[in-house]
Amino acid sequence: MSLLEICQWLQDTQFGTSLRESIWMFPIVEGTHVMALSLSVGTLLWMDLRLTGTFMKTQPMSKVSSSVLPWTLAGFAIMTITGLLLFWCQAVKAYNSIFFKMKVAMLFLAAVNAIAYHSTIYLRMDEWDKAIPPPRRARWAGWCSIMLWIGIIICGRTMAYNF
Amino acid sequence: MYYLFPFFKWCDNTWIAQTIRGSKYIFPVVEAIHLLGLTVLLGVMVIMSLRLFGFILRHESTRDVATDLRPYAWTSIGTMLVTGYLLFASEALKCYDSPSFRFKMVCLILALVFQFTVYHKATTSDKADSSPGFARITAILALVLWFGVGLGGRAIGFL
Repeated sequence: MSLLEICQWLQDTQFGTSLRESIWMFPIVEGTHVMALSLSVGTLLWMDLRLTGTFMKTQPMSKVSSSVLPWTLAGFAIMTITGLLLFWCQAVKAYNSIFFKMKVAMLFLAAVNAIAYHSTIYLRMDEWDKAIPPPRRARWAGWCSIMLWIGIIICGRTMAYNF
Repeated sequence: MYYLFPFFKWCDNTWIAQTIRGSKYIFPVVEAIHLLGLTVLLGVMVIMSLRLFGFILRHESTRDVATDLRPYAWTSIGTMLVTGYLLFASEALKCYDSPSFRFKMVCLILALVFQFTVYHKATTSDKADSSPGFARITAILALVLWFGVGLGGRAIGFL
């Protein structure tokens, strides 16, 4: 089965169809997806800005990230669940949308960026926890994350339009 | 609110409103900026509320956390008001008929009053750190009012 056929099958399932045609459920799922941005990207933003060395410079990196990260993860859990539901019920529309494909590509790059950060410079945090400015790799990780999430949000919104 | 109808009609007819309506791209671009501003603003409110509740960043005073966040708070509020007005103007008459829009505006007015009063007091004095009750009320109001604005805005498309 091609990817498009899988998307069509997914969308045509009873669950997918009833979600798409629902009066309340779809708006609630979509509304939650948008509002949970505040908990996911809205908290990650502060950690990324600290990484770039432009925000809360005098606070140790470890304190900022340990404060913020649990809430960020909770936010991303909500985004993932609502995001998968939204994809499930309109998989073909998403598949056909160039903006959705860009969004998925950027989500993947954001994950790569996070993994790269956590497996390299993060492990040496004791060395740069209080450094002003933070080391180059940390600053790059921060800026890349911010740029990618701006792109992801823009693509997510623009998906709805047919140009 | 019928006495405001002339104002809504005037907004709907302005050059800027007509230009946005006449263009394929302006509304989506403005809306995307509005959404980015929302992420920052609600992100500020989430962090401030978590600090006011005493859940995070306890090693820093509430006032210091607020001072760090202040430029982001006001830049995002400014961005939201400008982009929000543009979005509103381009479909002012639709907004006039929308109960969600009215709810959103009531929340917005209350939220702005809150910013200049309760929030200001909590973030520029030591009252939040010395009085946990006051801190918690500030946090709850910040979340209820600003998320009320956000939810109201989201509902405009549906209700």
